[in-house]
Amino acid sequence: MTHLTLSNITKQFAGSTAVENFNLQVEKGEFVSFLGPSGCGKTTTLRMIAGFEIPTTGTVKIDDIDITDKAPNQRNVGMVFQAYALFPNMTVAQNIGYGLRIRKESKSAIKKTVEEMLALIHLEQKGNSYPHQLSGGQQQRVALARALAIHPQVLLLDEPLSALDAKIRVSLRAEIRAIQRKLGITAIYVTHDQEEALSISDRIVVMLDGKIEQVGTPFEIYNFPQTAFVASFVGTLNTTTAEVVDPGKQLLLMEGIQLETAEGLDGKQKGDKVSIAIRPERFNFIAQERKANILDCQIENITFLGSVVRIQVLVGSNRFYMDTFNNPFLELPKIGDKAQVTCSREAVLVLKA
Amino acid sequence: MRRGNKVWSWFIMIIGILYFFLPLVATFIFSLKAKLGVLSFKAYSNIFADPAFVSNFSYSVLWAVLTIVVGILLFVPTAFLIRLKVPQFRAAVEFITLLPFVVPAIVFVFGLVRTFSQPPLLIVNSPALLVAGYTVLSMPYMYRAVDTGLRSIDVRTLTEAGQSLGAGWGSILFDIILPNIRVAILSGAFLSFAIVIGELVLAQYLAKPAFAPYMALSIQNRAYEPAAMAIVSFALTWAAMGIISLVGRGGGQAQVGGGH
Repeated sequence: MTHLTLSNITKQFAGSTAVENFNLQVEKGEFVSFLGPSGCGKTTTLRMIAGFEIPTTGTVKIDDIDITDKAPNQRNVGMVFQAYALFPNMTVAQNIGYGLRIRKESKSAIKKTVEEMLALIHLEQKGNSYPHQLSGGQQQRVALARALAIHPQVLLLDEPLSALDAKIRVSLRAEIRAIQRKLGITAIYVTHDQEEALSISDRIVVMLDGKIEQVGTPFEIYNFPQTAFVASFVGTLNTTTAEVVDPGKQLLLMEGIQLETAEGLDGKQKGDKVSIAIRPERFNFIAQERKANILDCQIENITFLGSVVRIQVLVGSNRFYMDTFNNPFLELPKIGDKAQVTCSREAVLVLKA
Repeated sequence: MRRGNKVWSWFIMIIGILYFFLPLVATFIFSLKAKLGVLSFKAYSNIFADPAFVSNFSYSVLWAVLTIVVGILLFVPTAFLIRLKVPQFRAAVEFITLLPFVVPAIVFVFGLVRTFSQPPLLIVNSPALLVAGYTVLSMPYMYRAVDTGLRSIDVRTLTEAGQSLGAGWGSILFDIILPNIRVAILSGAFLSFAIVIGELVLAQYLAKPAFAPYMALSIQNRAYEPAAMAIVSFALTWAAMGIISLVGRGGGQAQVGGGH
């Protein structure tokens, strides 16, 4: 059942368009991330859901009720901010209970909810502490508890982990996801960190210049990017152009090398140029004879990345990356060696733009 | 070279301290000489025994308290809304808040008298005009203190956090903003207090009872009591400053964010 609906949302600021024709339907309990570079409109879209910005055109609906023009304090939407935004004059317990106090709930009900929330974020002992006495990670957990205490219909998270260091970021994102799953709450998460979006989301909305580039599951976004931007923004990708040789047989030619793709080339004519992309991990050194997708190359560089070894190869005039698992018993080629690499036809992605 | 700098720093600091304290010490010693040949607090007992002193000083305290209340009610929401909604007007408002420094008090008071001594606003005899005038005179201190306090917290994010939790403007202002700029408001309040206690021109020309006109009158008739009054007013101002620092230390100013 659709829980949150954004229809034809456009937002303009003094002549410039921050968000353009944004359409999205979010299911109840779904965790959706808005992913994109700075200035792509992801935070503006989130702020329109929260009510801090009013769309120039379009509507925001929760459970089919139009909330586009409702004030932020009249929407039941919880928000977690990048800068924590805990009230410095209140203790942790008072912060968590503030929304309930505003709703004039009884003292006992507030106390009960605050205790539940403190247990949920594993900070039972910190109820009487002030925000400045907590670490950044603890403060953000309190901010999450405060947003959840009001039992919001939608939880919005605006780059909540970007002020934290890497280790805490990884552990806290897992905690956020676990809490969201436990409560079954619909969540919208804004991030510019593709790894974060891939690891935490049910679906990802990739945005650029105020527009949606692609909506899909992390698996779809990573493995089947539809545009050159998505391909380049999410993970490492080798991109180049190729010429359509036979649209029916899905054959392409890249600098004299014939490539087969699994993707349809509908609408393409022989001789058309297309953008193609291949993930580094989809390349292999040729172990057995193959008929297609054989790329003669020269090893240019080898970089050890821990569990992965990244090999830079020169194919014609194209520099490609190839990732292979670090296996201490596998003999790697040396820099300057000639080699042949290959990839499956499914690995050759034809991009839309 | 560094040693030379240090000597100069001390020298300049001592000159500054002497410049500030010598007149004060001289005034204090003079105020103790009311009794011939001995140092005593006679001048002080005289002024505290004078019903006119108590009455005028009480009026000044009343005007100061009313000025502070009006100032808080006027300048806190103004500074808050300007910071939140129309930050582009900040420079213009800051300029306006400095006008009391530019316009002499005598010009200001004649402006008040001319404007409010005729219909439709015939309030020249009302204490409200005096309080309004004091509010204008204390504006540079109160507004700037509040604005500095607001600068120390993330007003926008705290406001939005409050809104997302269901709070209206009143709750945001009283529950979230005011407590976090408490020290700044206190600073502005005590500075306003000091301004009102020492202000002569407004009360004199609007013919209202106050401490400064009483003191000015005393200077013409008595020798030691005005010196004692000057010391008393200094002591009160310093006590006010002491309270600011105590409250600031005890309550703790707002801290947004923190370590990771």
